Amino acid sequence: MTQPDVTVVVGGGAKAPSPAVAIRSITKSYGALRACDDVSMVLQAGRIHGILGQNGAGKSTLMKILIGLVTPDSGEIHLAGERVQVTSPQQAADLGIGMVHQHFSLVDALTVWENVVLGDRSSRLDADRARALVAEIGGRYGLGIDPDARVGTLTAGQRQRVEIVKCLRRNPRVLIFDEPTSVLTMEESEQLFGVLRQVVRDEGGTVALVSHRLEEVLKATDDVVIMRDGRVVAEMPTSGTSPDELARAMVGRDVRLRTSDAHHMRSGAGTDGDVALRLSGVTVRSRRGGTELDGLSLTVRAGEIVGVAGAEGNGQRVLADVLSSLRRVTSGTVEVGGAAVDTGRAGAMAAAGIGVVPEDRHDSGCVLDMTVAENLALTSLDRVSSRGALDLPAMRESAERLIAQFGVSCPSPDVPMWTLSGGNQQRVVLARELSVRPKVLVAAQPTRGLDVSAIEYMGDRLREAAADGVGVLLISSELDEILHLADRIVVIYKGAIVGEMPNEAVDMARLGMLIGGAA
Amino acid sequence: MRVVLRSAIGRLRLGRDQRELALLYVACLVGALLVSLLLIEVNGSSWTRAVNALVDGAFQNPGRWGETLRRTAPLLVVAVGSVVATKAGIINIGQEGQLLVGAMGGAFILTLVQPGNPLMLVLGIALGAAAGALWAGLAGALWYWRRIPIVLSTLLLVYLSSQMAAFTLTRGELLLNVVPGEPNRLLQSAEVAPGSRLGIIEVFGNRFPLSVPVALAMALGFGWLLSRTTWGFRLKVLGLNPRTAQRAGVSDVRYGMSAILVSGATAGMAGAMMLAGGESQYKFSSGFSSSVGWDGLLVALVARNSPLLAVPVAVVFAALRSGSTFLSVAGIEAVLVDVVRALLVVALFIPPAISDLRRKRRALASLTERT
Repeated sequence: MTQPDVTVVVGGGAKAPSPAVAIRSITKSYGALRACDDVSMVLQAGRIHGILGQNGAGKSTLMKILIGLVTPDSGEIHLAGERVQVTSPQQAADLGIGMVHQHFSLVDALTVWENVVLGDRSSRLDADRARALVAEIGGRYGLGIDPDARVGTLTAGQRQRVEIVKCLRRNPRVLIFDEPTSVLTMEESEQLFGVLRQVVRDEGGTVALVSHRLEEVLKATDDVVIMRDGRVVAEMPTSGTSPDELARAMVGRDVRLRTSDAHHMRSGAGTDGDVALRLSGVTVRSRRGGTELDGLSLTVRAGEIVGVAGAEGNGQRVLADVLSSLRRVTSGTVEVGGAAVDTGRAGAMAAAGIGVVPEDRHDSGCVLDMTVAENLALTSLDRVSSRGALDLPAMRESAERLIAQFGVSCPSPDVPMWTLSGGNQQRVVLARELSVRPKVLVAAQPTRGLDVSAIEYMGDRLREAAADGVGVLLISSELDEILHLADRIVVIYKGAIVGEMPNEAVDMARLGMLIGGAA
Repeated sequence: MRVVLRSAIGRLRLGRDQRELALLYVACLVGALLVSLLLIEVNGSSWTRAVNALVDGAFQNPGRWGETLRRTAPLLVVAVGSVVATKAGIINIGQEGQLLVGAMGGAFILTLVQPGNPLMLVLGIALGAAAGALWAGLAGALWYWRRIPIVLSTLLLVYLSSQMAAFTLTRGELLLNVVPGEPNRLLQSAEVAPGSRLGIIEVFGNRFPLSVPVALAMALGFGWLLSRTTWGFRLKVLGLNPRTAQRAGVSDVRYGMSAILVSGATAGMAGAMMLAGGESQYKFSSGFSSSVGWDGLLVALVARNSPLLAVPVAVVFAALRSGSTFLSVAGIEAVLVDVVRALLVVALFIPPAISDLRRKRRALASLTERT
């Protein structure tokens, strides 16, 4: 292993130290697409650098080049003044560069400590040492986690802790976080930012925080670099900037930010519609006897958007599963338009008129190996078939119509779903669910992982659906999103609805208390 | 119709990936053949003689391609059923047993009701299909009732089926053909009643039973069912993403069970048709299935779960079977054919495995690239 970071400066230190990382004129093309176009930037030790940009701006590619996952077409990387060639993540680790990826690379069936030492090449597996290591790093950074817990049982936030511990144990000098908060609750994000601060302050490390979220860049970083279409378009210290300035630089136009004006246009709408969805005393127990929903009751009226706020892991997932016919309730009832639905029976919720945009579309929203047209027809097969035989021209025609109507960008309805980008897959799911004219639309974390314009689009569609008389249930752990879209806010805590307030009379203090379980 | 045609043409136009895939197939097949020939040489025989014997036995000699077709039928029928199960995400590997049970069920009508008639033929095949469905259904029921893995239960039921078949051949009141005054060492049933036999088609001196066109029709029929009906569509959804299926109203018990039953029924039907079509002189014996079930499963695997592609694959497998009988005549160990077949299967698995791996990587890359 080389030791590039040891620079002995004799005397008064007149010479400025080389930056921890200097990226010079990096270019990387995928076919005709220039993912990175002559990108240069400097990352200083002891500072947190935000790298901001929409999906596809080239930030992830740049970071992958830095970590050796992608080889650049041209350009140089300098670490502490010395030119390096990073050819593999292993080598990057040896050079002191570590990355926490957006998509976790953990093995569900293994325990925390097993995952942490998974990449080790040493011959012997020392369980006690590994446990101690997890505890030690956890203690140092306040990332407490049970080393013997199975990763499969952990929440997203806890999994990320495991990823971070895995990365920190190699004592990286440069730490890259790729969209770290997209799966985190507010509290967990705060905690993460604390860890970042500690890495740069106490250990003089360098942190690059890749993100497309304005608030977190403003909150957590010292400097910010903004990328758009593969280029660096702006660079500035975070303290001297504003959300509007960042947003403009990021999208290259003025966007409608998440303010309340949009919502005021329709405040008070729909509160007197018929009850579209009513859950009464819904309790779900897991096979092991844990209570996942605990007498949850809520109603959604036609034409209103009800936001379910709450920290992640309080039963939101189970609630969405129940409304997707994926779980059977232990007790309680679900009524759609006044008629009780047989929970847990395949397709019963969809047949009753509940459309769902699920939290994880790959899990229950679409079939990646089937075509776009087939995915669009999933819940309305009887419309594109007669007496059991598929009418392929009709299926294609209806797919083409929906693709145009919802602006899905795909070469043809016959391409497999997996070839589409995340945002377009999401549009396919939304198009399908709305195409059957549902009475209720459930949107679970609908904008997670999407970029600014996709988020805007999603919000518009949900509002449109409500205006059309659909009862919308928005389940989100992003309070901003709920404040922005919902007419009425309910708070879920430990599997039950613990409070409710209309959006126009929102009491932030009380809301915070409810979410935290303190009210 | 035009749309169908256009999409078919679109599929035929080979991209770079497909060309590479085709090249890989050729390379692997050539590799497998070279290794096979080498093995034959090492074994002390001449490969030209071996190939000649195989081709003679499978196609060239008078009447041989009829024999190959006769052997194609059950392989194809079993393969088609396996495809149906696999589409629904169910791994039924017990076709060997389901086929044996089917032949046994068929034997109860075909060999016991003498002198037989066409109605008995239909009933016999139907009973065979029902018996096969029941045998596979047992595994299905165990899965949906107690979550016992289908791979295991179908496999283990194969062994149970051969014991059961052997038992029916120990009793005169069951299937054993008791010949007065002779010790029953043969342990086989009576012949299928002449009236209940499958009709024989004769083309240029090649004779094959009616089961051949039936099998072909089944391949086409199930190809259509899987690609053009809501049933096939739902099976596919269930197989590819069970949670999405549940949400979209595809009940896993209902559709999964239907797929298991169909795969069992086809295997059972294949067994009964073998018996009625003249396999082992129209007599049922405990070794009756002679690995046709296993081979049918392989045909489905090699055909990459396409009922139509299963047709040529089944012919190749059948040709190897019928050709191998000529090998021993030529003084070459017939076992070599099994080795060749295994090599071919392995060779045919490599290209799709490589392309799948690449595709997954690319999908993963596109997943992270766009964020």
